[in-house]
Amino acid sequence: MTILQWHAAWQALIHHPLFGVGITLAAFQLAFAAYEKTRWVFLQPVLLSALMVIGILLLCGLSYPDYSASSRLLTVLLGPATVALAVPLYLNMRRIRELFVPIVVTLLLAGSLATALGMALAWAFGAERMILMTLAPKSVTSPIAMLVAEQIGGVVALAAVFVMITGVLGAILGPELLRRFGVQHPAARGMALGLTAHAVGTAQALQEGDECGAFAALAMSLMGVLTAVLLPLVVSLLL
Amino acid sequence: MLLRGLTWLVLFQLLGTVINVLLLPMLPGPIIGMVLLFVALLVRGSASDSIQLAASSLLRYLPLLLVPPAVGVMVYTEAILEDFWAIVGALVISLVLSLVFTGWLMQLLIRRQKRNKEKA
Repeated sequence: MTILQWHAAWQALIHHPLFGVGITLAAFQLAFAAYEKTRWVFLQPVLLSALMVIGILLLCGLSYPDYSASSRLLTVLLGPATVALAVPLYLNMRRIRELFVPIVVTLLLAGSLATALGMALAWAFGAERMILMTLAPKSVTSPIAMLVAEQIGGVVALAAVFVMITGVLGAILGPELLRRFGVQHPAARGMALGLTAHAVGTAQALQEGDECGAFAALAMSLMGVLTAVLLPLVVSLLL
Repeated sequence: MLLRGLTWLVLFQLLGTVINVLLLPMLPGPIIGMVLLFVALLVRGSASDSIQLAASSLLRYLPLLLVPPAVGVMVYTEAILEDFWAIVGALVISLVLSLVFTGWLMQLLIRRQKRNKEKA
């Protein structure tokens, strides 16, 4: 084997259209095993596997667009997975109908708080307007956040990053915080995780149980729809 | 079984995309698809085994599907580092406060509703 052949084989490996899928699957299983074994909150599987993947990409000299193209097989399933959230929602409909008033009141009050507080704090810390508008939709699922950020004058791709950071933080800190403050009701825990930490929070809530997951899915979708419709309106009226 | 459920999920996602382009540009296709599937399940009055199987299989791996978008953070390290403390401060404090507030308020309202029902 000459060095040239080794080099060609290496190039074929890292540029294979399944390379991204392969490293993501491997990293995720490693991260998940580490999380199961230690139950240490900072080993949150999404965060840890993303860091591992970033490390591998940097070592191989691959850019994010390379990886994005070779992990399409996974990301394309996010659409059907979002649609699938309708099923736990439907299966828990009876519980949700019973708690209709608490859901609507919490959604309106806490949803406005999550959005306004993020913007107010960033403003107080001296971030510029562009960052403020990018931070505004941080609590909703990334496709909606990206659309809303664009409409109100933020940076689309950066909005997705803030969404991701918020989601990962919510999944890491959420369960422990809620326990400390005495929030035990599965519906309330799910509502808090889904409303503030969207899909990553919902994924975490699904691990806690069916009811918790259903309320997280409900909170995530209602918060998303509400933000998509109301936030551009409010921003154009107030700022 | 799994395939039939998966087909329905994909069909609803595609339907959502069509409606997104034609009628509702501010809502993403998958969210419209989810709302439509939810309405369809309500109208039908039951969720078939195949769609339950497909949904629970996909949702089990939702964290895995979120890894590629999370890797996107690597592109913006510089922009994030510039406003690092403002961003982290705003994200962490607002998340912690609104998360606890949401859970607390929801639990309070649930308990109050229960008490009112018991009284009535």
